[in-house]
Amino acid sequence: MTDQPAIEAVRVSKTFGTVRALDEVSVQAPRGTVLGLLGHNGAGKTTLVNVLTTLLPPSGGTARVAGFDVVHQAHQVRSRIGLTGQFASVDEQLSGLDNLILIARLLGASRKEAAQRAGELLEIFDLGQAARRPARTYSGGMRRRLDLAASLVGRPEVIFLDEPTTGLDPASRLGMWEIVEELVDDGTTVLLTTQYLEEADRLADSITVLSAGRVVASGTADELKAQVGQRTVTVTLGQPADGDRAVAALAGAGLHPVHNPERHAVTTPVTASTDLAAVVRALDDASIEVAELALAEPTLDDVYLTLAHQPSAA
Amino acid sequence: MTTTLNTPERAGSRAEPARSGWHGTGVATQILVLTGRSLRAIIRDPRLIVFNLLQPLVMLALFSQVFSSIAHTPGFPAGVSYINYLMPAIIVTTGIGSALQSGIGLVTDMKSGVLARFRSLPIRLSSVLVARSLADLARSAVQLVIMVLFATVVFGFSPAGGWTGVVAALLLGLVVSWGLAWVFLALGSWLRNAEAMQSVGFLAMFPLMFASSAYVPVSGLPGWLQAVAKVNPLTYAVDAARNLALAMPVGTGVVSALVTSLLLAVLGVAFAVPGFRRP
Repeated sequence: MTDQPAIEAVRVSKTFGTVRALDEVSVQAPRGTVLGLLGHNGAGKTTLVNVLTTLLPPSGGTARVAGFDVVHQAHQVRSRIGLTGQFASVDEQLSGLDNLILIARLLGASRKEAAQRAGELLEIFDLGQAARRPARTYSGGMRRRLDLAASLVGRPEVIFLDEPTTGLDPASRLGMWEIVEELVDDGTTVLLTTQYLEEADRLADSITVLSAGRVVASGTADELKAQVGQRTVTVTLGQPADGDRAVAALAGAGLHPVHNPERHAVTTPVTASTDLAAVVRALDDASIEVAELALAEPTLDDVYLTLAHQPSAA
Repeated sequence: MTTTLNTPERAGSRAEPARSGWHGTGVATQILVLTGRSLRAIIRDPRLIVFNLLQPLVMLALFSQVFSSIAHTPGFPAGVSYINYLMPAIIVTTGIGSALQSGIGLVTDMKSGVLARFRSLPIRLSSVLVARSLADLARSAVQLVIMVLFATVVFGFSPAGGWTGVVAALLLGLVVSWGLAWVFLALGSWLRNAEAMQSVGFLAMFPLMFASSAYVPVSGLPGWLQAVAKVNPLTYAVDAARNLALAMPVGTGVVSALVTSLLLAVLGVAFAVPGFRRP
């Protein structure tokens, strides 16, 4: 039984009326790993989280979480998972402490155990000072932390984090990443949805890319990057008329430039470490005036653009 | 097989974590804990109790003054002052207002996101509804006691039935309030819109209050309104509460008011639970 994945969805579909929000999505996460769900708004990330956390029944397919079927054993699933959605699910009227005690009690803890666990979590999440204030007086970041603490009350085997860092400032985002890493070190399985490739890259053991309800790619961050290609250099031209000459110059240097006339720019992928120097040299040799030179890491858009043209990649 | 879940993983790179072993609790504990939560919210924000009492207090103050001369008209029970006639009706209508508030409170809860948390916990969602109805019953009781004390001290409410009669009327008002609260909980769980609830409540309740025996004897109403008043369940609830308070013969009034409230509660539960479960 220990070999059973903590999360396993097999050809899960979900339709709302005529909209197919999930189309035969299959994902898997072994215990103690992080599964990253990557996709834009509307890709189906939250719908998949809702199906896996028993909030929505799937229209087709099956899913097991912590070894239990999400439809027929919803109660068992719920007692083993934690969910932090995009919006803080806390009782605004209650204090942080009372929120956590409430959840612990509903999970079956005694009054004493509940108070103890709540105190622990408030310390971990740096909410000790605000423990007795109503949650409605909390800042956005504090509310997020309380919400995450609330999902951890029962020390769940599997935790679902739906865009946990959207809207957080950089420091809070880093803090959230560290918390996720600690959870995984403790053996918790994490499913994390995000719109940021960087975040999935940092945290996830494996990544599934969703687009319009379908899995368009899955693999480790490195595998995906290999598929997507590489970093790109975008050259903004000083003289818009130089576009064709710039393309010719870069092509002559063995690169694969693309002209973007609207932005007076030429973009080219760079692979080898010497490519960047080659770009500069080629443009200089052709006496092309450069207004700006920018190096970009691959983004989710690149993943989409690349994978959209190679359907077999899924 | 089950023991393997608790042994360390063979690969050994990651230790098996300490799990809480909390896998849910009984329905009674769920209801107890959730009722405590709702009560706490009421205690933390007592403005709501006071605010909801403003309307019945204004009605009490206005009607007891404006309509006091009705007590001298034919058809009015002999020897009864208007405040003693009016107050049992105020008890019932306050209870109705409180029931509406219960439905609105549910809608607010559903919007606030805390419900999303409850949905992902191993609890019965119907526990959340039962807890709310119980907490609101307590709130209702507090409101009714405040109203009665106010009427007694300020307007000289002192009906023939004495304290036992008043307490009996109050308990009846509470049962009616509780039964109707389930109707509004059902409405709230399907409408999920506080403004709509407010409108529906107002549109349904205001005409019902006036087309009844609440403020004037039915015999004093125009003919067509008498017809409405005679089929208006509120008339029977008010009459029952009034007869208890005034130590008048209650007949089957009390029993039918209790049975009707219970039926409303059953109907409300039947609709509220599936409405509430809907994602």
